[in-house]
Amino acid sequence: MGLDWRNIDIEPAVTDLRNRTLSRLPGDFSRLVYLASSRDCNTGQYYHDGLTFHFSQNVASKAMGLCHREIFDRLVYASLEELIEELCNYISSTDERPEDFLKSWKHLGSYRVTIPSECDELEAEVFLSNVRLALAILQARQKPASQDEQSA
Amino acid sequence: MSQLLPYLFLGLLLSAVLAWWVWDAIVHRGSAEVLAPQQPRSSVRSVGSQRDLGERIFGPQDWDFVSRETTSEIQRIFQRERTVLAIAWLRRMRLQVSQVMRAHVEAVQQSEDLRLATEIRLALSYFMFLFLCNSLIGWVWFRGPVRTRKIVRQTLQWTVQLRGVFEQLMASVDPASCGVARTNFNRGTVRN
Repeated sequence: MGLDWRNIDIEPAVTDLRNRTLSRLPGDFSRLVYLASSRDCNTGQYYHDGLTFHFSQNVASKAMGLCHREIFDRLVYASLEELIEELCNYISSTDERPEDFLKSWKHLGSYRVTIPSECDELEAEVFLSNVRLALAILQARQKPASQDEQSA
Repeated sequence: MSQLLPYLFLGLLLSAVLAWWVWDAIVHRGSAEVLAPQQPRSSVRSVGSQRDLGERIFGPQDWDFVSRETTSEIQRIFQRERTVLAIAWLRRMRLQVSQVMRAHVEAVQQSEDLRLATEIRLALSYFMFLFLCNSLIGWVWFRGPVRTRKIVRQTLQWTVQLRGVFEQLMASVDPASCGVARTNFNRGTVRN
C-alpha cells in the first residue's frame, strides 16, 4: 500500500476489468454507476474481489479509478442525444419502472455520486447539467405516454 | 462642441493604431521575437481539452437536438443550464490568463532584460482580453450561449494565441516562472 501508484503497472488489471466485467454491462452509463457503487465514499478506494485476488487491492483500486475516469470523460463529451440513449439503456437494465426511476433520480440527485474523485470541477458541472437535462427530457416524454394510459 | 472633435478624432485614431498593433502581434506571431512558441506536448493537450470543453458547452449539436425534439419548457431549461456553464467556463479562462499574467509580472520585476515595446504590447493584449472576456460574460448572460457561440469561438482562438505569446515572453524572461505558470494554467488552479 505504501508504493507510489504511478510506479505500479496497472495495465493488466485495467484490461482484465474491461474484458471480464465492464464489457458485460449495457453501456457506459451502467459502467459508470457500477464503478461508482464499487467505491467506498469514505476513503475513495474501489473494491473488486476478483481483481484483488488476481492482482492486489491497491492495483485493483487504481485500475477501477482509471476506468471510472475514462468512462466519465466519454460521457462528458457525448452529445445530449447520446447521453439520453445511454441513460435509457441503463434504466432498461434495472427492474424499476421508468417513471419511478426518473422521479427518484431527479428528486434524490442520485447521479451526483457517479462523479470520479479526481475530475475537473467544470467537467463535473457539465456532466451534472447534462444529466439533469436528460432526466427532464425523458420525464417529458413519459408524460404523454402516461396521459394516454389514463385516458384509455 | 466642435472644438472637441479634433481630440476625439485623435483619440479614436490612437485607439485604432494600438488595437492594430496588438492584433498584429497576435495574428502574425512568427514575425516577432516573441512569436513562435514551441509548446510542450502536455500544454498543447491541455489547451486542447480546454477548447474541447468550450466547444462542448457552446457547440450547436445539443441545441439542434433540443430545439428539434423537445418542448419550449425544456428549451428554456437548456438555455438556463448552458448559460451557467458558459459563464463558469469564461470566468475560468479569465482566471487562467490572469494567473499567467501575474506570474509574468513577478518574473519581469526581477529581470534586467526588460523589452519595453514587447511588455507594452503584452499589457495591451491582456487588457483587451479582459475587456473582451468581461463583455462576453455580460453578452452570454444577456443573450444566452446559443446566440453568442460564434463570437465566443473566435475569442477562444484568439485566447489560445495570446497564451502562446505569454508563455514565449515568460520563457525568455524567466524559464522557472514560465514552468510554474504553465502548470497552473494547465491545472486551472489559483496560485497563492
